[in-house]
Amino acid sequence: MSRHADLLELHDIDLLLRTVQRESCATRLRRLGYRLEGIDALRRRRERAASRVEPRWIPTYERALSRYGRGLVAVRERVCQGCFVTLPTSAAPDHGDTLTLCESCGRILYWP
Amino acid sequence: MTIGEASTVFDTSLFIPELRYRKPEPVLGEMVTRASRAGAVTAGRFLRTSLALRERLGPTAVGKGVAVPHARSIAVLEPRLVLGRSRQGIEWSAPDDEVVRLVLLVLSPAEASAEVHVEWVARAVGAVRTVRQRQRLLDAESFDEVASLLREVIA
Repeated sequence: MSRHADLLELHDIDLLLRTVQRESCATRLRRLGYRLEGIDALRRRRERAASRVEPRWIPTYERALSRYGRGLVAVRERVCQGCFVTLPTSAAPDHGDTLTLCESCGRILYWP
Repeated sequence: MTIGEASTVFDTSLFIPELRYRKPEPVLGEMVTRASRAGAVTAGRFLRTSLALRERLGPTAVGKGVAVPHARSIAVLEPRLVLGRSRQGIEWSAPDDEVVRLVLLVLSPAEASAEVHVEWVARAVGAVRTVRQRQRLLDAESFDEVASLLREVIA
């Protein structure tokens, strides 16, 4: 697993929170038979995940989250999945790392 | 991003006729492994963590012997549906206390909007809404039978 697993976890928790905090989505999920009882526990889990992330990533992550709704995006075939800019070869992370920054949109890039 | 046709989100490698385990967590692990082998998922271990977090929000068993766990995750490359069956049943804390015999795992990439993901989940739940649909999935003897039913109700 990536050494940035905590940041990936934070990202997925934020996606889940945004889904269940959107009234239309939460209402639909409840009508489908789902119980959404653990939202406060999920928020606490978010705090714990955020506290484990390397501090240098947090301001960038939170800024992009606030601006775009997601602080972290994947790179697929050298394209940022946030702004769809093709990234130069030099933008790839150093060997053994999986994260860089998109110089176009400012989101954190996850290179799977 | 839109939901793909059933034929593109579900293929023979994503059908598990008999799940090995009787608890949700290992069942989800088995299904994620299938999705990883099919090339739809990176970082399978991480996706299992995300699915476990979703279960903590509330069990994804929706009653009538059905569970529809789901995740929108950066570990998912493409929308996928994984279907597993369990004759022995899985203890999943369902609202009606029934054991789960059908599991439909719905996976969306993080790029999918919340609304698109929930629509995809709704279609999966819709696929097993009636007794007849559930029984057809449970009784199907081949992948083709299962795929045919899913095409009818999901596409």
